[in-house]
Amino acid sequence: MFFTWWSAATVVRMRLVPNNEGQMDRRAFLKNSLAAATVTALAPLIAACSGDGSGSTTTVGTGATTGANATGGTIRAAFVGAGASETLNVFSGGSALDFVRARAMHATLGNLDPNSPDGVAYGVLEGIEAADDLSAYTLRVRPGVVFSDGSPLGAADVIHSLRLAANDATGSFALFVADFDLEAATVDDDLTLTLPTRQPIADGPTILCVGTNFVFKDGTTDFTEDMPTSGPFLLREFDPGVGTRFERNPDFYGLKLGGGPFVDELELRSIPDEAARLNALLDGQVDLANDLSPLQGQELAGDDRIVVEATQPPYLSALYFQMNMAIPPFDDVRVRQAFRLACDRQAMLDTVLFGRGEIGNDMFSLGFPDYAADIPQRPFDPDEARRLLAEAGAEGMSVPLLTGPESPGMVEAATLYAQQLGDVGVDVTINELPAGQLFADFETYLSSPLVSGFTTAAPALLYYQVVFLGGGPFGLGWNRPDIDELVFAARGTADAEERAALAVQAQRALFDEGNAIVPVYKPVITGRVPGLTGIAEGLFEQYPSFSEARLA
Amino acid sequence: MRLWRLVVRRLALSLVALAGLSVVIFAATEVLPGDAVTAVVGPDATVEQRDRARLELGLDRPVLDRYFDWAGAAVLGDLGTAYVGGRPVGDVIADRLPNSVLLGALALALAIPAGVVVGVLAGARPGKRLDRFLSTGSLLAIGIPEFVTAGLLLAILAIGLDLVPPVSLVPLGGGPLDAPTIVVLPVLSLAILPAAAAARLIRASVADTMSSPYVETARLNGIRHSQLLRRHVLPNSLGPAIQVLGLAVGAIIGGAIVVEALFSYPGIGAELSSAVGTRDLPLVQGIALVLAAITLLSLLLTDIAGRLLDPRLRT
Repeated sequence: MFFTWWSAATVVRMRLVPNNEGQMDRRAFLKNSLAAATVTALAPLIAACSGDGSGSTTTVGTGATTGANATGGTIRAAFVGAGASETLNVFSGGSALDFVRARAMHATLGNLDPNSPDGVAYGVLEGIEAADDLSAYTLRVRPGVVFSDGSPLGAADVIHSLRLAANDATGSFALFVADFDLEAATVDDDLTLTLPTRQPIADGPTILCVGTNFVFKDGTTDFTEDMPTSGPFLLREFDPGVGTRFERNPDFYGLKLGGGPFVDELELRSIPDEAARLNALLDGQVDLANDLSPLQGQELAGDDRIVVEATQPPYLSALYFQMNMAIPPFDDVRVRQAFRLACDRQAMLDTVLFGRGEIGNDMFSLGFPDYAADIPQRPFDPDEARRLLAEAGAEGMSVPLLTGPESPGMVEAATLYAQQLGDVGVDVTINELPAGQLFADFETYLSSPLVSGFTTAAPALLYYQVVFLGGGPFGLGWNRPDIDELVFAARGTADAEERAALAVQAQRALFDEGNAIVPVYKPVITGRVPGLTGIAEGLFEQYPSFSEARLA
Repeated sequence: MRLWRLVVRRLALSLVALAGLSVVIFAATEVLPGDAVTAVVGPDATVEQRDRARLELGLDRPVLDRYFDWAGAAVLGDLGTAYVGGRPVGDVIADRLPNSVLLGALALALAIPAGVVVGVLAGARPGKRLDRFLSTGSLLAIGIPEFVTAGLLLAILAIGLDLVPPVSLVPLGGGPLDAPTIVVLPVLSLAILPAAAAARLIRASVADTMSSPYVETARLNGIRHSQLLRRHVLPNSLGPAIQVLGLAVGAIIGGAIVVEALFSYPGIGAELSSAVGTRDLPLVQGIALVLAAITLLSLLLTDIAGRLLDPRLRT
C-alpha cells in the first residue's frame, strides 16, 4: 500500500470547522491538498478541458525584477485559530491559522499548480526526476536560496525537513513522505539528493510538492520565533490566539525570480468564530476573512465593499451521507439505491448552499479528470425509491441519521434529506450531536446505520484507498478485494490514461453497489476587500501564503 | 466566633469544595462523548493507533488512579500539557487569565455601582412608577442570556451606530487597554446581568429598610428623604451588595465563556470554549479548576468582607 490506511484516512476525513467551527483545520487543508495532489498530477487534462491553457496563476520564473512590483502596505487577514494553543510547530498545530502562518514563514518544496505543465510549481526545488523503474527520485535544490540567518538552503536541509515530517505524530504530514525510504536518502552534493521509494510510485513530484512539505534548516528540532526561515515573510511577532505579524523577506528566492512578496507587512489574526470573522471584515478590521459559511456568502452577494470568492471544482467539499452496510437493511443494495434515488439534490443545492456549489452524483471526485463523468446523473426518483424499498421489504422502515455541525450546511442538509426520505415512507430521526462530537465519538459514528459527513473531493484512487481499501472502518461495511486490486494496480501505473481507466472501474462499482449518497459539493468561501488581489497566484488559496498578494 | 477562626474554617471548607469540584470536573470530562484519544490521533486513526495512544496517555489505567495522578500534579501546580499545540496548560492559563481578569474587573466596576444606584432608586419608593419600571427592567435583564445581550449590543453599538469595533482584536504586541474600545462590548455584555441581579437584591434590602421603625421615626422627625437614604438606609442596605459581589464574579465567569468567544476576545473563557470543542481535556480540566478556585475565593472574600461590614453577622 502506497499510503498507509491510517494516515490517508486522517487526511480525507477532517473537519473544516471546528467545533464550533474551527478546529482541526489542519486536517482540512491536508484534505484539500490531497485532493489537489491528484488534480495536479492530471493537470494537463484539466488545462485541456478548461480550454485555456494559460491559466491565471503566476509561477516563479516570470515577471518583473526584484521588488519592482512591490505595492507596500499591510495585509490583515482572519483565519480560524486555535486560541492560546496555537504554535509555531506546524506538525502539532491544529488550526488553519497554524498552517497559514507556516506557509508565510517557511518555503516549501513546491506547490500544486493545475495550470503548470507538470502539475507543480516548484519552490526551493528546481526539479524532480524519477528513475526509470520508479524506484527513486532525484531532487535538485534551487541555487541561491538562503535562510534568514544568511546560510544557504541545500540538500541536507531538505532531507532533514522530510524526516521531521515523517516523524509527525499525527500522521497528517507523514502521509506525504510515507512512500519514501528517508533513512536511505542520500545527499549527492550540496544541491542534489536522492530519495528511494518504498515501492514504485508514479506521482512522486505531486506528493513532494503538495504544499505541506516545508523546509527547515538541517538540525532544527525546536520551532521558535528566532529560528532560521526561508519563506516569503519574516516573523516579527507571534501571540498565540491573537495574531502574528510578519515583514516582507527581502531575501526570499521568489523575488529574484520576479515574484513577490509585494507587501511590506502581513498580519494574521486568530478569529475562531465565523460571525466574528465576517464582522471584522465588514468593519474594516481585516482585509480578508477565510472560511465563511454559505449563508454568509449569500448575504454578502451584492455588497460592493466585499469580494466573495468560492473555490471551484475540484476544490470543493462534498457533503455526504453514508449507509452502514454492516447493519440491515443497508446490506441490501436495493435499499441503498432507494436511499440515493430519494434524494432531491437540486433542492439541497438551492436551499442549503444557496446555489453556490455543485450537484453530486454519489461519487467523491467531481472535477477531477478521473471522475466518472460519463456515468449519467442519478435522478431524483421517489417512485422508484418506494418500489425498491417495497421490493426489499423495507417500506416504512425507521432509521436514525447521525449528524453534527462539523461543517456549515451539514445539519441543514441532513434535515432536508430526512424530509425527503420521509416522502418515500422512511421514518428518519435526526440525531444531531454538538459541534466537535460527530467524529470524536468514534465508536458511535462507526456503529450508526446512517451518518453525515463531509470531505473535499479527492481523485478516485486516493479516495478509495483512504476510505474503502481493505474493508477499512470508514468504508462502513464495504469490503471488495477485487476493487482493491484495481486500485493497487492503478497506483503503480505510470500511464495516465490507463491509470484513470482503472480508477473509473473502481468508481463505477461504488456507484452501482456502494453506500455513499453525495448530493452536493460545497466550496470554501473567502471574503476580501476589493483592493486585495493576488491571493490565488500564491497557490493553495484555501490557505494562502500571501506571497503574491498585493494591496491597492 | 473570632474572625480569624471564621476565615480558617471557611478556607478549609473552600478547599474541600475545590476538591469536590475537581472530582466533578474530572468526571465530567470522563463522560464527554469521544475520548482523549480522538483529540490526540484524530478521528480517523486505526484501532491500532488508538490503542497505542490510549496506552501512551495512560487511559488503560483505572479511573481513580488517573484522577489522583491528575489532582496530585495539580496541587503541585502542574496542570498537564494541552493536547493541541503541546503547550503546558499553566502557560496557556497564565497567558489568558490577565485578559479575563481585566474584563471581569471592568464589568464588576460597572455592574456593582450601577446595581446599587438602580436598586436604591427602585427601593426608595417601593411600588411607585419608577420602582415598577426599574424592577421590570432588571428582571428582564436577568432573564436574557449573555449571548443575546451581546448580540443586541453588537447590533446596536457596533453595526448600527458604529461606535465600537465588533470584534475585540487586541493590538499585536499590546494589551486590551492599548485599544480600549475593543473591551466595550464584552464588558457591557458581562456587566448587565450582575448589575440587574445586584439591583434587585439591593432594591429588596432598601425597601425593607425603608419600612423599618427607625426609618419611619426618622421620617416623622422631619429628616429629608435624600438625607434619610444617605445616612440611614444606604449603610444598612449595603450588606447584600457585598454578597452580590461574590455572586457577580460567578456570573461573570460563566458569561465570559460565551462572551469572549463571541467577540474573539483572547481570554480564558474563550480558551475554555475552544478547548471543549477540540476535546483538549487537560486544558478543559485545568481551566475549569482555575475558574472554580476563583469563584470559591471570591465567595470566601465577600463572605469575610460582609461579616466585617455587618456586626450582626459576626455574632
